[in-house]
Amino acid sequence: MELNDGEEEEFGFSRNYFLAKDLAASGKKSTHKLSDINLVDEQELRAAASNIEPKHEKEIVSLIDSYKSLYSRWVFMLRCGFGLLMYGFGSKKALLEDFASTALTEYSVVVINGYLQSINIKQVVITLAEVLWNQCKSKRKTPSRNLPRAQQPFNSRSMDDLFAFLDGSELKENDYFVCVVIHNIDGPGLRDSETQQHLGRIASCSHIRMIASIDHVNAPLLWDKKMVHTQFNWHWYHVPTFAPYKVEGMFFPLILAHGSSAQTAKTAAIVLQSLTPNAQSVFKILAEYQLSHPDEEGNQVTLNSHLTEFKDHELVKTRRHSDGQDCFYIPLASEALEKLLSEINQ
Amino acid sequence: MAPSAAAADSSPPSSPETTENRLQPFFVLHEASSRKPERTSTGTVKTRKKIDFSPSKLKNVEKPDVEIAKEGGDEGYGNLRMDAFEVVWSKIESTIKDVLRDINANVFNEIHQWVRDSFSTIRSFGMLTFREATQAFPIVTDASSKQLFTGLVLTKNMEFVDDLLTFEELGRHLKSQGCHVANLSSLDFTAKSGIGGCLRSLLRQFLVAPLDAADISILASWYREQGNYNNPVVVIVDDIERCCGSVLSDFILMFSEWVLKIPVILIMGVTTTLDAPRNILPSNVLQRLCPCMFTLGTPSERMDAIIEAVLVRQCSGFSISHKVAVFMRNYFVRQDGTITSFIRALKIACSQHFSMEPLSIILKGFFLEEDRQGLQDGLLLQAMFKHAFDLPSYGRNKMGEENVGSFAHCLSELKRSQTEWRTVVLCLYEAGKGDRIQLLDLLCEALNPALYSSRTSGTFTKVDKGHGVSPSNNFPVQQHPIMRKGRLICQAVQKVRDLPIAQLYKLLKRWEELTVDINEIHAKLKELLSVIKLENGRSSRQDMADSSKRPVSRSQLNIEKESRAVNEKAASLIECMVRDYMQPVECSPLHEIVCFKNVETLQLALIGDPRRRIQIDLLESYKILRCSCCSRSGHSLLPSLHDTSILYNLAQEHGDHINLHDWYQSFKSKVCSSRSKGKHKSKQSPLPKKRKDMNEPDKPCEASIQARFCKAVTELQITGLIRMPTKRRPDFVQRVAFGL
Repeated sequence: MELNDGEEEEFGFSRNYFLAKDLAASGKKSTHKLSDINLVDEQELRAAASNIEPKHEKEIVSLIDSYKSLYSRWVFMLRCGFGLLMYGFGSKKALLEDFASTALTEYSVVVINGYLQSINIKQVVITLAEVLWNQCKSKRKTPSRNLPRAQQPFNSRSMDDLFAFLDGSELKENDYFVCVVIHNIDGPGLRDSETQQHLGRIASCSHIRMIASIDHVNAPLLWDKKMVHTQFNWHWYHVPTFAPYKVEGMFFPLILAHGSSAQTAKTAAIVLQSLTPNAQSVFKILAEYQLSHPDEEGNQVTLNSHLTEFKDHELVKTRRHSDGQDCFYIPLASEALEKLLSEINQ
Repeated sequence: MAPSAAAADSSPPSSPETTENRLQPFFVLHEASSRKPERTSTGTVKTRKKIDFSPSKLKNVEKPDVEIAKEGGDEGYGNLRMDAFEVVWSKIESTIKDVLRDINANVFNEIHQWVRDSFSTIRSFGMLTFREATQAFPIVTDASSKQLFTGLVLTKNMEFVDDLLTFEELGRHLKSQGCHVANLSSLDFTAKSGIGGCLRSLLRQFLVAPLDAADISILASWYREQGNYNNPVVVIVDDIERCCGSVLSDFILMFSEWVLKIPVILIMGVTTTLDAPRNILPSNVLQRLCPCMFTLGTPSERMDAIIEAVLVRQCSGFSISHKVAVFMRNYFVRQDGTITSFIRALKIACSQHFSMEPLSIILKGFFLEEDRQGLQDGLLLQAMFKHAFDLPSYGRNKMGEENVGSFAHCLSELKRSQTEWRTVVLCLYEAGKGDRIQLLDLLCEALNPALYSSRTSGTFTKVDKGHGVSPSNNFPVQQHPIMRKGRLICQAVQKVRDLPIAQLYKLLKRWEELTVDINEIHAKLKELLSVIKLENGRSSRQDMADSSKRPVSRSQLNIEKESRAVNEKAASLIECMVRDYMQPVECSPLHEIVCFKNVETLQLALIGDPRRRIQIDLLESYKILRCSCCSRSGHSLLPSLHDTSILYNLAQEHGDHINLHDWYQSFKSKVCSSRSKGKHKSKQSPLPKKRKDMNEPDKPCEASIQARFCKAVTELQITGLIRMPTKRRPDFVQRVAFGL
């Protein structure tokens, strides 16, 4: 577009793919190994990582503060029917939640943490329906008489029914919606196309407004034109914050630390937390069995549904036992497993 | 970009997050407060006042007297704007809907007729006996009765988004004619949910009440019981090419078995070519179809119709500037190509206009001729005038006195010049229709203030409005500035010169209708039309007299000469109109009230460009953070830069694979060079504690540098700008983006 043509030249440091390829092919390719670095001890690295002295604290605070003056426009756009899509470098978690808790007080707000590994969309939709229901009830002084409350409770209704309720023509008023804040709509827990389709349907409901953030440069590839134009209806905002990705980065391994028990136990604990209590207890039993029978593998064929879930998250793996049976085991060292057990027992 | 103005008076961002919430997949942040939704929150009132009344472009942002209704009127004012937006946008939206419906009307009627014919054909296979009708299995007689009537609707769109609305409308149309209609999307035909998915969706739409069982016999008994027997069942599938072929096949086979009990008529959208069904469906399924083709209008036809109704004809009073029009055209032509996205862009422009231009609320009352109760508030009114007289366009035109009278006068002038402008644009469009001039392109030229000023400041004196059209007013084409610059306008005028007399007459008749509101032009047209009539009469008489005696050549020559003179007159008339009456909105005082001009914000809102922007954020972080420490460096990297920013800048020096060791070493050396400048940095830090840190042993702490490196790599990984080492290349990360 003509507006940006001039800027392009300014970036002397930008180079195209072929230049980069050339650079790689010109024989200068380094043969250094990661192990050539004098890597510090795992524990020390972790301690240092949690104590990094922040740079530009003052500037970051005032940058984020400067966005406050835009809150009223953001609300205006929400009311006009757009979804807000925030992007730019830096964690936008605090920004979005500050916006929601100061400027969206008249609307119920549900937050989805897309940076987590697994998110149950159906549960989200049920919660949205319940929240919308509460909002309707509290807005009217005469509760529920003129509201066609369906017979079934929300948690036993089908997705289609729930969407129909959220899109409901039953509730006439226009300016009547629940806000959904999604941190990292491009995050690992939401990245698959089925989930995105569901999110699109949520966004297109007349009583829902969405405020989402993305961090991945290719995030727009998640959506086709139908989703972009008719469902999400994004209004883009470039709001770099340069705030550290604290929670968002929690699940990424440190590149200079290799397969430490501490880290894997920690992420396993986080995954486990997002599973149902029942699934957690199954895992606990399996873990305890493994600890008490260090030389055996348990055969838990009957627990397929839970086990599949564990397998998906790589909490358990299978290996073929010498007698030909498939056996499940938790791919953690005993010490790490003990640590994990103590954590989930808390 | 964020304005820095508000930074000073605000507190640090609150962090409502608790550890529990951070690790919940989702949670309820808060439920709606009990206040009515019409009111706005108090949290941001302080800043809102400034924003509400001061578009960033204006210089007078800090002037306190621009702020409107200081005491409490603010919330109400925000709602006034929202109301105004809703009125204006719903007008635009309904206009667009009407336009599209009109465009589709013919095809829709054609389809309805075909549905009726098909239905009576199905009926002609014979009525079912009561026993047959109530059995829970299909009736099969012969092969011909197993045919499924199928309408293939060619959409001529590469993108099916635009057709979603069309098929919805088609469904509504057929419903209004008594058909039972269900709209299925390609999402109902997925391999995952299978045939049960489509059935459930059908049952949902026909029976309304939710059902657990998905069985076609339920549908059959519904059809029998509801007294639905005299109407066909129409199933519309919006895009056949996006459906899962095997599910669609099952669907067709099943319904063709049941067609006597449930007279289903299929309508399927096809975006590419008529071969599409053959590519998706096996031959045994194709045999069950009895196809019929329909074709929808092209996107450019629809586009022209929408532009005409919304932006050229009087619709809502909302208009867009030349730059915005050009941007939206380019966006449509080069980037997206769907009407849907164009309408979306228009909506963003419209809502941004109401969100940023305080006086936009006038649009509601003034141009839509509705109640003006928003303007009754004296205080509000006063503040608005104040603001109006500060508008650049008002100052530029030096309107003299600043009072209510001159304000009202300006507005009515604006309205008048807009009416004239649209009249001339429509006349040009009519003239150019034969040459396939797209209205969107023409609009861009007609809105261009540069062309207009070159027109008016040219060597030509304004034509005296009482003056009749005479050959002496003919300006040679080449000398006319507008004719040199405005390619399409020029083309349209040339077209007028070249038209055969009969078509010219038609065109002038059309112009006569269009120009009813401009007396001078209307009068001239009448004059011109009477000349044509006269000459027509004379020439036909001459024809009759001449034909028997002389060879035709001479009289033909005469007629041609005379009609050329008429063409010339018509052409110079339209030139006059262009010069004197087609004043682009941006040339009028107070146009800011009705005209959205901020092309940059529109572009930012419409086209998020994360790939480019996130990289720029990193490469030029000091520009965004506006710190004193990093910005003076020019191109060299200072150690005070944000760590991730340093690391990404360093990554630019590598090839498509980055050796982790080398990357780390260069990061380390960059960061460690800060130690030598550490004193300098500590001077800026007001906190004594920090200075203490700096005074600690200068030896760089290896662990801390490694930790910072790890953190920066993780952040780059989150942005997707690098890919982690693979098993094959454990010592390298991969670059993902090359160039911006």
